[in-house]
Amino acid sequence: MIEVASLAKRFGSVDAVRRVSFTAADGRVTGLLGPNGAGKTTTLRMISTLLAPSAGVVSVDGIDAGQEPLAVRARVGALSDARGLYARLTARENIAYYGELRGMARPRLAESIGRLASLLEFESLLDRRTEGFSQGERMKVAIARALVHDPPNVILDEPTNGLDVMTTRSLREAVRRLREAGKCVLFSSHVMQEVAALCDEIVIVAHGVVSAAGTPAAIREAAGCEDLEEAFVRLTGPADAVAPGGPR
Amino acid sequence: MIGRVLTVYLKEIRDALRDRRTALMVLVASVVTGPLTLVLVAQFVSGLEERAATLKVRMSGAEHAPALVNFLRRADVEIEKAPVDYAARVKDGSLDAVVAVPRDFHERWLAHDEARVELVYDDSRTESSPAIRQTERLLAAFNRETAYLRLMARGVSPSLNESVKVERINAATPRQKGAVLLFLIPMFAILAPLLGGMTLAIDATAGERERGSLEPLLANPVPTAVFAVGKWLAAWTSATVVAAVTLAGFLAAAVLYAERKLPALLQFGVPEFTRFVAVVVPLAALTSAAQMLISTYGRSYREAQTYVSYLATAVSFIPLVVMFSGAREAAWQSFVPVLGQLMALQRVLRGDGLSSSDAFVPAAVALALAVAAVAAVARLLRDERIVFGRS
Repeated sequence: MIEVASLAKRFGSVDAVRRVSFTAADGRVTGLLGPNGAGKTTTLRMISTLLAPSAGVVSVDGIDAGQEPLAVRARVGALSDARGLYARLTARENIAYYGELRGMARPRLAESIGRLASLLEFESLLDRRTEGFSQGERMKVAIARALVHDPPNVILDEPTNGLDVMTTRSLREAVRRLREAGKCVLFSSHVMQEVAALCDEIVIVAHGVVSAAGTPAAIREAAGCEDLEEAFVRLTGPADAVAPGGPR
Repeated sequence: MIGRVLTVYLKEIRDALRDRRTALMVLVASVVTGPLTLVLVAQFVSGLEERAATLKVRMSGAEHAPALVNFLRRADVEIEKAPVDYAARVKDGSLDAVVAVPRDFHERWLAHDEARVELVYDDSRTESSPAIRQTERLLAAFNRETAYLRLMARGVSPSLNESVKVERINAATPRQKGAVLLFLIPMFAILAPLLGGMTLAIDATAGERERGSLEPLLANPVPTAVFAVGKWLAAWTSATVVAAVTLAGFLAAAVLYAERKLPALLQFGVPEFTRFVAVVVPLAALTSAAQMLISTYGRSYREAQTYVSYLATAVSFIPLVVMFSGAREAAWQSFVPVLGQLMALQRVLRGDGLSSSDAFVPAAVALALAVAAVAAVARLLRDERIVFGRS
């Protein structure tokens, strides 16, 4: 479970995140939805302890990320905005490196790599160097690498960016399987349909502030319109349209 | 913790070895350096010795100077007739020096007039200078002998003419004749770890960020010091291997040459090799740590490469400054990185003993600075501005 309370991040004179609070529960897919530059990636980086918040608290399974960042990292698997692989290593070696860094024993690691490769459908690529991989293939390896230790909390920053339909489908399927396994999945996207198709809970972020949160139905109701896309546009409108301290 | 460091280390080494082309290039370059340098220097030095060793004078118009010819024959000098186009030959370097005797030499000499000869040479060619000096010396000796005999004939003591007698005693041992090598080998020994550690140091820092693999790497539950130490050890290993290969090249070349022309020119046997490695390995720790620290600031691989090449330039300047400023050895030099190593290496080559302080002080300084640099890298990897780019 990921809990975020009054999170803020300031870079110099820029407020990237002003006040973000939400809870992502276990066994649910929570979508962080917002236009480009809304502060989604910054929020996710603070949750995975790569950035220190200027204010606010992140806790993962009850552990304070500010106090025990390494313990939080151990309980999180994050596909970050940067997802580069080592081109001269094979897919298997790329994934195994992270498993070893997380202290996994050989047999468990091998079993985990096999399981993820079948979940994400890239078994045939495992022993090839990642040099010539397509974007979708690289994405799958990066996700497997992030999930190699079977973390209870999964963070995916725009995982479908630049993927074709087939890859996106298999990725969605994988996310559903993670939910079935009782994981807490936190997922960011700027694509409405993406979130609508997959998420149990939606958190809409605009200009560093949460402008709406709830189930897709609750969001439609809050915006006062039937169409989710229309609701998205209304709720993420221009900065001055969002009242300071507005709906959370 | 040590297990994690090993994981990082092995990954970096494997990754570097997979880059076959770069690895091979670096290895070939370092294997070839020693033999090539030694062959060139040996050719140069032995050329000097050969030209000077056989006493030979090339003359044009020898028939006009029977007294001079007689003197030279008595001094066991081989006289060779110079070709007609000797002036051009001297200019293009195929002849070192030619003594040209004018037609009226013998008459003037007999008449005790000033008898002229021309010594034709090109002093812009350093390789000719031994032959030129030798010819000059022979002509001066002939001069002296003539004067000596003439003074005797008049009942004057010849020693009047020579109030100070200069005797030449060359103090340089054969080893010191290889003075160029005394400078060149330590220089290569110091530059080799820079070459060897560079690729890995840059790839593991700036390269990692450029690839977008730094952020996910740091999301692992591992302190940044583990990454810094593992990567540094990998770069150090690579630097050490390249330096050892370079020095082994010198060793092989020195052994091959020792059997042939220049037994005493250069002592670079197994004991010298071992001492060189002992001095260079701690230095490699420092150079690779410094390269990593510098590259961590680089926003891209290219930028880091530029910074790191400045470091190499700065390091290669130190031997040059020492050579041209003629700095004398002093105790404080041991405490200056690179300079301390350079002095220790030169001492090894000169065959002077290497005291423990000569070896340990530079090593301790290098290791201490290396650890400080690695600690700085670990700190930078926790810095948001470094990890996510400066804004």
